[in-house]
Amino acid sequence: MSRAIAILFQTLLAAGLAPLVGGFIRWVKARLNGRRGAPPWQPYYEIQKLLGKEAVVSRTASWIFRATPFVVFSTSLVVASFVPLVAAPAGRFIAGDLFAAVYLLLLGTFFLALAGLDTGSPFGGMGASREMTVVALTEPTVALSIVALALNAGSTSFSQIVSRTLAEPAAALGPGHLLAFAALFIVTLAETGRLPVDNPATHLELTMIHEAMVLEYSGPYLALVEWGASLKLFVFLALAVNLFMPWGIAVSLAPIPLAIGLVTFVVKIGVLATAIAVLETRVAKLRLFRVPELLSASFVLALLAVLSTFLTR
Amino acid sequence: MPSLALLLVPPLVAAALAIVVKPYRRFVGWAGVVLASLSAAASGTLAIQVVRDGPVFGGVGDIWRVDALSAMLALCIAFVALLASMLGPGLADERDGDPAQTRRFRIFMNAFAFTMLAAVTTGNVALMWVAVEATTIMSAIVIPLDRTKASVEASWKYILICSVGIALAFTGTVLAYFDFVSTAGEVPGSLNWDVLRDAAPSLHPELLQLAFAFILIGYGTKAGLAPMHTWLPDAHSEAPPAISAMMSGVLLAVAMYAIARWKVVVDGAVDRRFTTTLLIAFGLASVALGAFSLVIQRHYKRMLAYSSIEHMGLVAVALALGPLGMFAAWLHVANHAIAKSASFLLAGRVLRRYGTTEIDDVTGLLRAMPWTGTLLAAGILALVGLPPFGLFVSEFLLVRAAVETRHLAVVGMVLLLMAVAFVSLLGHLNRMLYGDPPPAVATGERRSWPLFALAVPIALLIVLGVALPAPVDALIRQCVASLAP
Amino acid sequence: MFSQLVMLGSSGMLLTALIVLWRKHVPAYISAYRLQVWLLAGVTATVGYFTSDWRLFAVAFVLVVLKAIAIPALLRTMLRRFGAQPEVRPYVNTETSLLVAGLLVLFAYVLARPWMAVTDLPTRDALPIAMGLLFVSLFVIVSRRKAITQVIGFLMLENAIALLAAVGTYGVPLLVELGVFLDALMGFLVMQIFVYQIHETFDTIDVEQLTRLRH
Repeated sequence: MSRAIAILFQTLLAAGLAPLVGGFIRWVKARLNGRRGAPPWQPYYEIQKLLGKEAVVSRTASWIFRATPFVVFSTSLVVASFVPLVAAPAGRFIAGDLFAAVYLLLLGTFFLALAGLDTGSPFGGMGASREMTVVALTEPTVALSIVALALNAGSTSFSQIVSRTLAEPAAALGPGHLLAFAALFIVTLAETGRLPVDNPATHLELTMIHEAMVLEYSGPYLALVEWGASLKLFVFLALAVNLFMPWGIAVSLAPIPLAIGLVTFVVKIGVLATAIAVLETRVAKLRLFRVPELLSASFVLALLAVLSTFLTR
Repeated sequence: MPSLALLLVPPLVAAALAIVVKPYRRFVGWAGVVLASLSAAASGTLAIQVVRDGPVFGGVGDIWRVDALSAMLALCIAFVALLASMLGPGLADERDGDPAQTRRFRIFMNAFAFTMLAAVTTGNVALMWVAVEATTIMSAIVIPLDRTKASVEASWKYILICSVGIALAFTGTVLAYFDFVSTAGEVPGSLNWDVLRDAAPSLHPELLQLAFAFILIGYGTKAGLAPMHTWLPDAHSEAPPAISAMMSGVLLAVAMYAIARWKVVVDGAVDRRFTTTLLIAFGLASVALGAFSLVIQRHYKRMLAYSSIEHMGLVAVALALGPLGMFAAWLHVANHAIAKSASFLLAGRVLRRYGTTEIDDVTGLLRAMPWTGTLLAAGILALVGLPPFGLFVSEFLLVRAAVETRHLAVVGMVLLLMAVAFVSLLGHLNRMLYGDPPPAVATGERRSWPLFALAVPIALLIVLGVALPAPVDALIRQCVASLAP
Repeated sequence: MFSQLVMLGSSGMLLTALIVLWRKHVPAYISAYRLQVWLLAGVTATVGYFTSDWRLFAVAFVLVVLKAIAIPALLRTMLRRFGAQPEVRPYVNTETSLLVAGLLVLFAYVLARPWMAVTDLPTRDALPIAMGLLFVSLFVIVSRRKAITQVIGFLMLENAIALLAAVGTYGVPLLVELGVFLDALMGFLVMQIFVYQIHETFDTIDVEQLTRLRH
């Protein structure tokens, strides 16, 4: 199968699967709480419903407000098209590596914060400032985790990292690897607005961060923003799973490895999503001034990961 | 061998006796004194034996190794322990204190003496470490003899800071052991000092440098070298006078002994200038800190404590100045042990009479307590380095050693700082000695045996200062020789 | 495999020390310390197994009995006496503490370079981690206000040195090990006595109140 078709297929897969991941987490949490919960594919209905509704836009909003949903959705989709999901064939799959992925996602977040400010509503501004605090603290951690992985593999390109880990399974048990995974996991929770950093199901002024920024969105805009957010979660989970535990991933574009890759990918994402759901059930949301403590801890974990990888080579 | 047993066992017996006899009775105190004199006599004979025949070994696997340096320090320790035993609570008090406190004092003072003796007579550097850590624990228990806020605070700081320091010293020990094992393999007796010293040339210099840094900081904390000295003024001033005497007089010297032993090992592998620079740096810092802190002192016990910091700094500097400096260092250690312990014990007598530790509140000492005042004056004059006392000789030799090894900047600084200390101490002493005693304080002093006991160290200082007796000279020369690589 | 296991155990010990810097409540510190001792015992036993030195198993056993069972029990009794007062305002706040800890580990790596260059023991990768743990424990002692946290910091310092000895020299001679244990136990008991005394005389174990002695 040619590369172009593979990329197209991967993009469609990501766009199609992402809302399911968010819905699945919600469903598992509901079940753990003893409720029946909405079915895991509820987000599809929500997107469909929102696409049919009218978008109400504040009079003071500028082009940024209208452009942001597209930016958020497209950056997440572009990133989803080149991170290793089902396949990580040798050689350059597409022009893009770990740095590109992270900073494209950051572009989306940046626009979202701007849009929050743009509406002129106090909630939007509050959400934007909180989000920027969190992001400012997670970026160094992300950079260090990338460095930790790249040092081991000798490059920041995904295929290199994946093939390096596949070639040396024992290194996956090493502290550098595990520490980087822990740091990246905490960063995932922070960047995608999950507990204990941010509650995705709240609309209380005291507790919302991401929800505050998108409070003013309605109709198709909201649909795109929500879809983009779920794509972002999907991408982060895929990175966590495939960079650190890549076994099962397809190394060539032949049908059978692809099928195996798809199945293992779905299984791994399912396991990680369940873990997140369990975690969210167990922990309470951190008070905002305690969030820097958590993020410093993840920074130190990433720093230790780099140290143990770099200085014991 | 028997003199070694007679040196180490009596303090243990005295401690055991104090544990067993509850509540405290005076005969326990007297028995302790007899045992301490036995120990002191044994240290004397051991010293003579070592000077004549060379190092004495003993124990399973030659755990005990007493060379001239060990013998000299054991002599100092036993002597000071004897003084503390005679003049501590329970025997020499004008009024009997709380028997529970006295019993605790007797137990832990003797245990403390034993651990110090063990530290200097063992040849295994790790066991030396164990003993030094034990000294911290034993002395810390007995500092808050009466549970005042100040003494509890002082002993907490003491045990925490010194335990941390000791832990660092152990890290250094492990590093050096590691180096030895990786070059020579696991040999039984690999932690013995003489084995390490002989193997030193084949060890890795960078590793030993790192180890020595840890050891200097670690044992330096115990020795009160600046900037790790912060526990010292508090601990030495809040402790009961007999314990202060032991701590200031000999415990600091034991820590310097540990540093000196390691210095010899490290010098075998690394360029001398490394240890010399470090020792001079820390030493001068301590002398400076001690001297300048003396200027603003308001409490006489803390004054004596800072003086100890200054003197230990001088010892550290002297250790770095070649063989003559080494001679000066060990002579200084011996002189300081005698002078400082006597001064603390005399200060204790002053405290009991006047009830205050502030210098401003102690006036007319010569009128209220003529004998104690005179002896205290002699002790402090000795500590500032005036002739005819022994410290003058050792400080003079230190300066001469510095000139001979061309450390002229060191000479300048040491002389300047000693002058600062001189002026401060004498100023404080003058204010305490002259004038009229406060009305609440009883005047006059009977001639009692503690005063005779305290006159002995002062007399010793004069003897050591006027004409260094030949046996002492031989002993200290042997100390220097035993430390030669 | 040997090197991997030792590395895992040592990193785990370092992470438990970070927990003391991160969390604010003393029971969390005691649990972290207990976990650290178990990891240390694991590392010691692993070293003993791979070097066929059965004395290290005895050492690991004594470690568990003494430091993983007895000492935490004593600490918990102390805690019950004083009530649960969280470490609310340490001298250095949490974020800065964690960053400083990271820097201290970096410093330890730099310091341990000559050491690692000299040896080719399979456990040598864990040496900088042990030194890092040493410095982080020192930092805990210096930056926390409650006496009981300082005691826990000191206990972790001893663990760090034991780890250093285990991975650097495969343990020290048994006699020394015994002496060190005795010292550690006595030191801890005495410190415990002192924390009680501090509490009795000062009615608090906040060492900031210990300021009666100045110049």
